[in-house]
Amino acid sequence: MSSQTVGKFQTSTWRILLMYGVMVAVMSVLTYRLVSLQVLERETWVNQAVDNYKTEISDPAPRGIIYDRNGYILARNFASYNIVITPANLPDDEADIQNIYRELSALIDVPVNEGDVEYAKLFTACVPGPGIAQMVELGDSLAPYTPVRIKCNVGEELARVVRERAVDWPGVDVEIEPVRDYPTGSLTANIVGFLGPIYEAVKDDYEARGFVTNRDKIGYAGIETSMDDVLLGKNGLRVVQVDVAGQVLRNLEPPIEPEAGNNVVLTIDTRLQKAAETSLVEEIDYWNNYFNRTRDISSGVVIAMNPKTGEILAMVSYPTYENNRMARFIPGYYYDQLSNDPRRPLVNNAISAEFPPGSVFKLSTATGAYNEGVVGPDDIISTPGKLTLCERFSPNDPCTALNQRPFVDWIYERNGVINEEGFGALDFFHCIAYSSNVCFYKLGGGFEDEIEEGLGIFRLGEYARALGYGERSGIQLPGEEDGLIPTPQWKRINTGENWSTGDTYIASVGQGYVLGTPLQILMSGATIANHGKLMQPTIIREIQDGEGRVIPVWFKPEDFSLYEVQDVELDSGETVKMWVNLSNPDERFLNAPSGSYQISPFTPNLKWDITVTPKIQIYNCDVGYCDPTGTYKVVDPSTVEAVRTGTRLAVSDSRGTLHEIFTETYPFTIAVAGKTGTAEYCDDVARKANRCQFGAWPTHAWTLAYAPYDDPEIIVAAFAYNGGEGGSVAAPIVARVLQAYFELKSIDIAQSGGGG
Amino acid sequence: MLRDISWRYFDFWLLGAVVLATAFGTTMIRSAVAGNEDLLPSINRQIYFALAGIVLIFIVAAIDYRYWMALYRPIFIVMFILLFFLFLSAQAVFGAARWFQVGVLFVQPTEFAKIALILLLARYFDKTQNEPRDLKWIFGGFLWVMALALWILLQPNLSNVVVMMVIFGALLWLNGIQIKHLALIAGVGILLVGSVFGLTALGIRIPFLQEYQQQRIENFILPNEEETFGETYNVDQAKIAIGSGGLFGKGYGHGTQTQLRFLKVRHTDFIFSALSEEFGLVGSMAVIFIIMLVIWRCLRAAQKARDVAGMNIAYGVATLIFFQGMVNIGVNLNIVPVSGLPLPFISYGGSGLTALMLGIGLVESVAMRFKQLDF
Repeated sequence: MSSQTVGKFQTSTWRILLMYGVMVAVMSVLTYRLVSLQVLERETWVNQAVDNYKTEISDPAPRGIIYDRNGYILARNFASYNIVITPANLPDDEADIQNIYRELSALIDVPVNEGDVEYAKLFTACVPGPGIAQMVELGDSLAPYTPVRIKCNVGEELARVVRERAVDWPGVDVEIEPVRDYPTGSLTANIVGFLGPIYEAVKDDYEARGFVTNRDKIGYAGIETSMDDVLLGKNGLRVVQVDVAGQVLRNLEPPIEPEAGNNVVLTIDTRLQKAAETSLVEEIDYWNNYFNRTRDISSGVVIAMNPKTGEILAMVSYPTYENNRMARFIPGYYYDQLSNDPRRPLVNNAISAEFPPGSVFKLSTATGAYNEGVVGPDDIISTPGKLTLCERFSPNDPCTALNQRPFVDWIYERNGVINEEGFGALDFFHCIAYSSNVCFYKLGGGFEDEIEEGLGIFRLGEYARALGYGERSGIQLPGEEDGLIPTPQWKRINTGENWSTGDTYIASVGQGYVLGTPLQILMSGATIANHGKLMQPTIIREIQDGEGRVIPVWFKPEDFSLYEVQDVELDSGETVKMWVNLSNPDERFLNAPSGSYQISPFTPNLKWDITVTPKIQIYNCDVGYCDPTGTYKVVDPSTVEAVRTGTRLAVSDSRGTLHEIFTETYPFTIAVAGKTGTAEYCDDVARKANRCQFGAWPTHAWTLAYAPYDDPEIIVAAFAYNGGEGGSVAAPIVARVLQAYFELKSIDIAQSGGGG
Repeated sequence: MLRDISWRYFDFWLLGAVVLATAFGTTMIRSAVAGNEDLLPSINRQIYFALAGIVLIFIVAAIDYRYWMALYRPIFIVMFILLFFLFLSAQAVFGAARWFQVGVLFVQPTEFAKIALILLLARYFDKTQNEPRDLKWIFGGFLWVMALALWILLQPNLSNVVVMMVIFGALLWLNGIQIKHLALIAGVGILLVGSVFGLTALGIRIPFLQEYQQQRIENFILPNEEETFGETYNVDQAKIAIGSGGLFGKGYGHGTQTQLRFLKVRHTDFIFSALSEEFGLVGSMAVIFIIMLVIWRCLRAAQKARDVAGMNIAYGVATLIFFQGMVNIGVNLNIVPVSGLPLPFISYGGSGLTALMLGIGLVESVAMRFKQLDF
């Protein structure tokens, strides 16, 4: 060992001082950084720490139930069983895990191993493909405490077996997922609709209201859409502390329990709905068999309504779809099949399709002609089988051989036999009863000296609109069309041609440019049936909460807003009744918002009474030119009664268009009145079949009937696409529905009478 | 040799600071377990190692450090063989091996290699104290460093090689390296580090660095803002833990980052973050203060050392503790790239703690044999 101390090396002081200096510098940097993190930026970091552990969990609210008017369930939630594995709860030993996988695999028929984790990433939950091990491995790497769905929608039996076995399988569990169920399925699909995921365009809106994309579903059609804000309820919210693995440790704030959605009671009577569907389908099948080919009567509509209250009792649009197939997810191939079908099964044809109304539109012409004095009760109109008219595009056009245009009555040519006589001569009431085209051509467009001034297109439009044509009814169903009541201006804009005398003729019998939805046609009949009072058609009877208490709700058809009448406490402490928008609680009013009407508790809403509400604008007409005056008048009650008489004669008169069906085929003891329609049309399908030519036009079949005549409580409209003649195809459907209605009524009376 | 030891100069301040730091470390490890059952045994292990370490301090202090100087050959050979075999076993398992398993213990030779290097360098500088400070003198020391560091570099364990180079550099400085030589070495060093950073920033692979090491450097230079669960996750969580601790902390066992396990490797590399979260600025400054107290007592021992060997031992240990401590804290504060160096006396790790205790024992041995001023 070196023991010498003499000459020993000594570190220079400056070197030591410099070393201290370096240390102090390093220390200063660290201290500065610590102070800035822990003191100056503390707030930021505390927020990030809270972000780390604070998680909001949304507990789904059960969706409201949809009932029919008798409490029959049309839409409910039922439990669907999913087999799940929570990766974090699996045993530690890999051999035990493999054992569980193997036993479970044998039971539920999902392979233990299939592909790798990358492969598993390609699949969304519930879609079969990857093996159990791969799904769990993927789930484990994402969120070990979140259950991984191994197999979805297993039977109740299998779910029970797995649940029993799961006692020995830590990590395996059976998850119950609420799924929408439609017990009446396709029977009410066009009314009830179906659900789908929250889509991108509305995502922000729904998320702001506490709904969870990819979990919560919203209405995609029908009542599920229009009443979404009522049915959805409010999701619960728990603010919880989680650890890094996502395990929930405790509530950080008092949890908000989910509020179940409210229940919707419809005005539909499922029994009548079934009767209507059966009648329509059987009639279509009958005629298709009769002609021994699928005679393109492919679609049809039946609507039944109480004209006094506007309650829709049945609304069938055939063909339709099976909404239960959309319950879990919307299958792509099924949706494609539906949307590619030319019969448009996804569309509710009762409100979302426009058709030429044909002769049922004569109710408008009749009301107008009678009310305007074009025809009186004692006037006789000559009704030959054929009429020749000068087609004039302006009043001064000369009448030459070139612009002679024939207009025939529907009885002019029957099975190849020409009937030049036609109906001969008819009064106003029999014009309606026999549905004479020639009569209505004259009433609508005038004819030579017999009727110098017809009703004219302007006034016809006024009366058509007064009966419900030309605008949306405001029913609580999405996708409603407004139809079309043409005007000369409309024609100039859309076809570039002037309005002609012939146009008025064909418009007078509901042909040409006139279009209406089946619901509008029903409304026109209902207005006449109900002595001029047009009730707001409604499909909602009431909105109930979970305990069956009826909730006051108003509906604004313009934008489909729903307003619940609530007691709101103002800042002043005062409690007032307010109409609160259900999708935006900040939008609230002290009075019912303009344009809205009450849908719950049920109250019949009068749209207007044409004998009281001035709906008819007065026109000043001079040699074919008519100017609106801006003043309005009412329809005289005698006019409505005259038209009613005509519709009754259609049934009671032996030559009436509905006589045979309501007296012989389906003998009615109750007085029925109505109107048939056979509407020529030309659409893409007909054009393809080369039938859009004079004399070969295909026709839609219409019939409208109400009963009892004196005090009608039901009106039914039936429509068969390409159905041929209204009286022979649509009328039997209406008759059977009316029959079913009165049978059901007597059953109901017997039952309630038995109790009392 | 144990006959005439005088415990009069045994530095109880140093011992006290070390005991305090170790006790605080054990307490923090207990909190950092945070319900992880795998980590539960580490609490008692650390306590056993701490107790054994204190005994070790007394034993090593009792032995005159100059005996170790005499035994430099066997020390070197044993260390060389250990590191060589560690390197071989690392090759066998195609990865980095940091330890030998001895019964239930995992021994990390690298930790002891640093103490061995201090002893070897102390002997070298003692032996050459009167030689000119030329390049040959520097190179002689460098050979000793590389003889051990090479195998560590090949493990690969760059951080500990850097620690060894820093110890060597500090001792060169204190033993009187010429400024021009220092400038030369510094120039080469800056060039080397600069090119590593530069190439990494440009995304070019460097042959001597492992991919993950380069990734860490890259993450440090160019943090990826969108990467929440990637490489920057640990450092981000550390910053959140430290920052959210505030002035007085969230309380022992109440740090959400630590207890809910958002903070990773919280009982070793990131224990400083855990204690900063639970004890706040007060706690983190206290820990820094205790470590500085240990370093100060080591420096004091160096200045009073009887000979150049003793001086170098004490300076070496001081440098080791200072550098490792500051790098660890720097990593926690995200001002140094992630390195994997533990916080001296606080972080969990039997080998690291034992090696440090050994170093403290050596410093105590130096302190007990100060220049005899009281005749």
